[in-house]
Amino acid sequence: MVRVKSRYLLCEINVSDKRQLLLLDDRAVATTVKAAVARTHGDYGLALCTIRFSVKYLNTHTGIVLLRFPKKCYKLLWSALPFITSITTRGQNIPCFLNCLHVGGTIRTCQKFLIRYNTQQLHRMLPKCKNEEEKQQIRESLMDCYLEGGTKEALEGESESEEDEEE
Amino acid sequence: MSVFMDLNVLFSPDRNRLQGVIETAAHLGFSTVAINYVFEPSSKKKQEVPVPCPISELIDQLPVVQGRSRPIRVLNRLTVLMSDSSHFRPSAPEYRRFDLLAVQPTTEKLFHAACMLYDVDIVCISVTEKLPFIFKRYTIANAVCLMDSCKGKNVILSSAAEKALELRGPYDVTNLGLLFGLSDGDAKEAVSSTCRAVLLHAETRRTASGIIYTSRIQQEALHDSDCRFRLT
Repeated sequence: MVRVKSRYLLCEINVSDKRQLLLLDDRAVATTVKAAVARTHGDYGLALCTIRFSVKYLNTHTGIVLLRFPKKCYKLLWSALPFITSITTRGQNIPCFLNCLHVGGTIRTCQKFLIRYNTQQLHRMLPKCKNEEEKQQIRESLMDCYLEGGTKEALEGESESEEDEEE
Repeated sequence: MSVFMDLNVLFSPDRNRLQGVIETAAHLGFSTVAINYVFEPSSKKKQEVPVPCPISELIDQLPVVQGRSRPIRVLNRLTVLMSDSSHFRPSAPEYRRFDLLAVQPTTEKLFHAACMLYDVDIVCISVTEKLPFIFKRYTIANAVCLMDSCKGKNVILSSAAEKALELRGPYDVTNLGLLFGLSDGDAKEAVSSTCRAVLLHAETRRTASGIIYTSRIQQEALHDSDCRFRLT
């Protein structure tokens, strides 16, 4: 059975000013990634990018973004990500950089990793919080990563566990 | 999980900026970071080798590395820009204060001498020359040439970051290594085990090939410190 395989790259957007994160939206991130790939790998890279590239998930509170690439050329496109120095959205230029946390074959594996990562972040950040309100905000933004069962099946056509995972 | 290191974080007098860089490095997963003091000796005027700022002054509490339970380790490194062989004196007492020694030769002869004779830990090559061309192409071309000539062994990649936004995560740097022509294993080694080899080389250089090594032991009794010689 020929299965269409993709690689899902879980990245974190690091900014110096947290409030600027809230301005982001997935289309801005997608255009930035495509522009970076075009600058680094030219027309060939851009062509590879149009096949099966999309931004699957973006959390503006924590800066987590899930990108999908085709399996054959994901390393090439991944190598263009460090060249991103800023994201332009709604006329504003936000200086930032992308840090890749995990590469997975399916959205589910990336989600499992994200849950583990977020619990670690929670342990790191909660002691630093000054009041209950901030704690509640952080908890809510992290719980946002739990997608509902129904929407998840709709999103992925290739979600079975036979996909091989790579780090 | 391997240990990732970034051995080139440029020193800046702005404490907050340096603190931000170190915190971002800990967040990204680097276990060790070296603050680089660049020293350019010129024959015209007598210049003094910069004195490294003690780590406890720079930052009070070292942040814990993401994914580990230890705080980040911060070292001091000196890079000497050499345009003449007299610029680098092999055993000057000022060099003792630095954990790592690096040399950046500007001519081929010096590069040869640095690799063969000098007792340094890192021979530095800056692949971004200040030219009005497009920097990226020049960087990648130079880096590919370098990897070709050394077959990809004993190479380290580091950021030379001045701001926190100029750092990149260890897996991203590994991927950049692939762009420069390193193989998969070599690229990962360039951020982890080769850097560790540099640190070990620096330790043996400072302690006369690791033969004599003193360490302080806190004793509960009257003495403050005690010295113990260890023979390998």
